[in-house]
Amino acid sequence: MKTRIGFFDFTGCEGCQLTVMNLEDDLLQVLQLVEVVEFRELMSEEVSALDIAFIEGSITRRQDRERLQAIRARSKTLVALGACADNGGINLLASDQDVAALRRQVYASDAKHLQTETPLPLHKVVKVDYRIPGCPIDGREFLAVLQALLLEREPDLPSFAVCVECKLAEYPCSFDYGEICLGPVTRAGCRAICIAGGDRCRGCRGLVDNPRTSPYHRVLEEQGLNLQDILEQYRIFNIGEE
Amino acid sequence: MSLAEILRFARALMQSYDLVAPRRKKGRITLGTLSDAADLELEFPPSVHSPKKFLFPHWDELFRFKLEGNVLLEAESAAPPRVIFGMHPCDLHAVKILDDCLFEGETDSTYRAKREATLLIGVDCVPDEHCFCTSLGTDRIASGFDLFFHRRDDKYLVQTGSEQGRQLLADHAPETMAREHEAPLALQVKQCKSHLQFPTESLPLLMKDAYEDPIWKRLGDDCLGCGGCTLLCPSCYCFNVQDKLELDLKEGQRVRTWDSCQFDQFAKVSGGDNFRASQSDRQRHRFYRKYKYLWDQHQRTACVGCGRCSRECLAKIKPTEVLNELFCQAPPQQQPTNPGSEYQPQMAKVERIEVISSEDRLFRLKIPEQFTFLPGSFLQVSVFGLGEAPFSIASAPDGTEEIELVVRRAGALTQALHRVRSGDSLGIRGPFGNGYPLEKMQGHDLLLIAGGRGLIALRSLMLALLSQRENYGRITLLCGARSIESLLFQEDLLDWHRSGLVDCRFSVNEQHNSWGIPAVDVSYLLRDLDIDASRTIAAVSGPPEMYRQINPLLFRLGLADEDIYLNLERHIKCGLGKCGKCRINNICVCECGPIFPYSSVKHMAEAIER
Repeated sequence: MKTRIGFFDFTGCEGCQLTVMNLEDDLLQVLQLVEVVEFRELMSEEVSALDIAFIEGSITRRQDRERLQAIRARSKTLVALGACADNGGINLLASDQDVAALRRQVYASDAKHLQTETPLPLHKVVKVDYRIPGCPIDGREFLAVLQALLLEREPDLPSFAVCVECKLAEYPCSFDYGEICLGPVTRAGCRAICIAGGDRCRGCRGLVDNPRTSPYHRVLEEQGLNLQDILEQYRIFNIGEE
Repeated sequence: MSLAEILRFARALMQSYDLVAPRRKKGRITLGTLSDAADLELEFPPSVHSPKKFLFPHWDELFRFKLEGNVLLEAESAAPPRVIFGMHPCDLHAVKILDDCLFEGETDSTYRAKREATLLIGVDCVPDEHCFCTSLGTDRIASGFDLFFHRRDDKYLVQTGSEQGRQLLADHAPETMAREHEAPLALQVKQCKSHLQFPTESLPLLMKDAYEDPIWKRLGDDCLGCGGCTLLCPSCYCFNVQDKLELDLKEGQRVRTWDSCQFDQFAKVSGGDNFRASQSDRQRHRFYRKYKYLWDQHQRTACVGCGRCSRECLAKIKPTEVLNELFCQAPPQQQPTNPGSEYQPQMAKVERIEVISSEDRLFRLKIPEQFTFLPGSFLQVSVFGLGEAPFSIASAPDGTEEIELVVRRAGALTQALHRVRSGDSLGIRGPFGNGYPLEKMQGHDLLLIAGGRGLIALRSLMLALLSQRENYGRITLLCGARSIESLLFQEDLLDWHRSGLVDCRFSVNEQHNSWGIPAVDVSYLLRDLDIDASRTIAAVSGPPEMYRQINPLLFRLGLADEDIYLNLERHIKCGLGKCGKCRINNICVCECGPIFPYSSVKHMAEAIER
């Protein structure tokens, strides 16, 4: 029997699910090995049990918590798909603000029935087995994690920093342009796509296992940043990393 | 060749080869396939990545496989014929290092396939502020390329470095073949802003004492662990091997990808232990690999001074600064301030002289201050007016102020020494050299094999072993000599034999001798030896031809290369690793020897094979 997989979404932009859909030809090949049993962007069916649940988005309401727990209960394996699900991502920018005020500001008169709470990454609510970081995820990494799970092997994420991918691709260092880049402490796996595109790394894939923060902060201080500025850099994607 | 001819040559090469040359990419020089020969550049600063990315690429398929039925398939693509046009001297040196490392032992065939399919064309370079090739002698090169283009005014003089290089010219620039031969040009003298403040030959000694230096802690504190230094290094080749599967999970490939000793997971094992747990450990390892370990093996640094590691280092870690700092804090005796003092002997008083054979005398000297040494080290003994000669120390390294030397009467200097009386003084320098590894020998069984005067160094070793007999396992001594008469230290030998502490076996080349021992070669004594090879270290000391006979027998007994220590004495003059008299290929015996583990000399043609 084919492995039954499902995709679920909570608070997020659906960009990660879209990345999966954009795999197109590769996705069709994968469908020889798996059966997609739930995927709101493709179908309306629901099932009582599945092998792997890929879950996008953060948890921001009581109902969401219950729904996530229910998905967990009927899934053998649960994978956080993307930054919002994995570490809270940019949703957590709201975490130090007054929730009631935010709700009024965003939803105005609808605020009453849209009972949002401070956003949470999945692992604050249920047990998360594996994670695919990034905003959005990298399609090839998604396929590699799925392959590993199908082979009953531990999926492995790169343990080194984005700098490695810049060096391999011979991209010039953002710091050479006076840009503040989070590459030295951010987990690789994105092929340094932002630097390739002329931007800097903002850390969407979260920190490496053992970030070398002291020497990194010294580099940032040499660029004229103070502690507050440095924290601001981390805040964009990494509030959830504590 | 004129520039126009070179461009025509390049265009012709592009018909048959993947032509790799420097290209401008976002203001930087990167090596890549040239699409238009007109873009060829012959003068350019160091490229971001070295040619390693073509000879030993980051993603290299080793083989393919099918999961079902476990079928092994060959790699899909053979190495494409390629010409790298624009190899700087340092990068050519780096290829030699890769060759040394990857062809040694089991040849890396994946590398070799690319190496053999790739022709290397050298050009000279202009160093930038990170280059320090001039300190390492890698700013020039005499071999290792197929062709080298030397700039001369507005033309280039082409130097052929191989038959393939000559053929490349004949096939693709035939007009050059009729031209007159000229002597190769010397490369331009370069000025590097970064440089070492000491000669590279001092590196192994400098690093030997620097393992516990606080500088590694500081480097570890500064390092971001990004691994850029090793990835960009033209001679770093550590790699990971992984299986990558096709989407259908039916087939896959085993690939190797560059890894880095600077990554925190590099030395981590599945139990969770990390054998280089701190970034300091990892940085130290990088420096030792570059400047010590590979020197020990191949007598060259594994660094070519290209500056790529520091050029891209956010933490601004510069090898020249690190090494110069280590040099500056090294103990001052390494930098004598009094010119020539390293050549001046100290006077030692002769305490006692003993005639130990018709030709040999044992001298007991009182030295001015006690010194430490390992058995196998030697002293230089001076007779003013006649010069200086090296003598193995025959006594134990027991920390006393008395040492013993054996002098055989041979030339003028030794004859003069034989005329010396007790109470006279002699000039000595030293001790010099590396001896037998007493520390490593602890807890092991030991097999000492002495031939003739080789016994002198082994007597020192034996006395050291017997002074702490409980620290060692079985000790066996095989001792051979021409005749009983020429057997040195006869009293000691009989003492050891009778003590029961050592299994002594003798052979001499004379029939019906007074000791009644077999008239055979010492190698015969190995035939009925019962030893446990896995716990035995051999110390062999004798004339060169003895190693050629004994070594194969030791291998057959199962001894490992690194557990066989040989005494490779040579004509030693200065004792300081400078005069070059005692060189075996590229190393100085007085500095690195005379005692060597076989593993470190087996690749040197002059060591044993001559």
